[in-house]
Amino acid sequence: MESLKIEGSHGAFFVPFVDFNANSGRCELSGESYLENTSEFYDKLLEWLETYMENIKKPIYFNIKLTYFNTSSSRAILDILNLLKSYEDDGGQIRVNWYYEEDDLDMEEEIEDYIFDTDLDINKKAF
Amino acid sequence: MSLKKKINLFSFRSILEENVIISYKGPFDRHILFVIGDYIKTTIGKNSKASKKIFNIFIELAQNISYYSAEINKLDEKKEIGVGTLVIGDHKNYYTFRTGNVVKKNDIIPIINKCELINSLDRDSLRKFKREQRALPPSENDGAHIGLIKVALTSSNPLDFQITNIDDDFSYFSISVKINK
Repeated sequence: MESLKIEGSHGAFFVPFVDFNANSGRCELSGESYLENTSEFYDKLLEWLETYMENIKKPIYFNIKLTYFNTSSSRAILDILNLLKSYEDDGGQIRVNWYYEEDDLDMEEEIEDYIFDTDLDINKKAF
Repeated sequence: MSLKKKINLFSFRSILEENVIISYKGPFDRHILFVIGDYIKTTIGKNSKASKKIFNIFIELAQNISYYSAEINKLDEKKEIGVGTLVIGDHKNYYTFRTGNVVKKNDIIPIINKCELINSLDRDSLRKFKREQRALPPSENDGAHIGLIKVALTSSNPLDFQITNIDDDFSYFSISVKINK
């Protein structure tokens, strides 16, 4: 299985940086997310994760370092977290870290809301 | 085509507050939004917490206008882009972020109801409401609503909104939020 890498970009829209490693199970999603076609972008990420879960079946270390995402991205992020939760419920091993700027209380609240929504054990890491 | 009346921009200037840092009227096109967004991030509040908040609010309200404004710009024949107005004011202890756009009469009641509901909720209830809206399948949720909830959460202040009658078919929806410095 191939790794998935998307270089983030900053133009009229913000494409987040994606680095999903098929060998180590380390997945990073960082930067800013404000896309022209949100579901098309995130569907690629979901498909990759589903393939990994079905075929590789190893632990997933998921690291999120998003400093900004709009509300339509926030729905897609919820889908990713729900997928990770179902992997865990089916016996898969996961660890989710979410890095946020220490004084960004809005982001901290977003993470708490995701924990509430998904029942996932997300490690909040202030930096 | 003759101009209906002479426009003196002095009257436009005098209705705006003195401390306006940006005012824009026109299509909410992605190129314009990029420039304004970049200016907010880098220049207004210089990457402070407030500038992050203004940027957040800007994206949600600007998207609402580009998708839902009843006034359409047809500069680009392939795309219909909503037209609206945006004004950012700089005050001693806070910024104001205002947008306005034309809406169809039929859309007015749902907008008023949504804004009033948002203003009636405390922060915890508002977060719960956001989560409920976010969990709905795309066909059942309305992007504009979750955007407004996010705006209220980000500003931590009530949504100050006004509806002005235009004619039998259209009204003008104006919304203002305060962002503490």
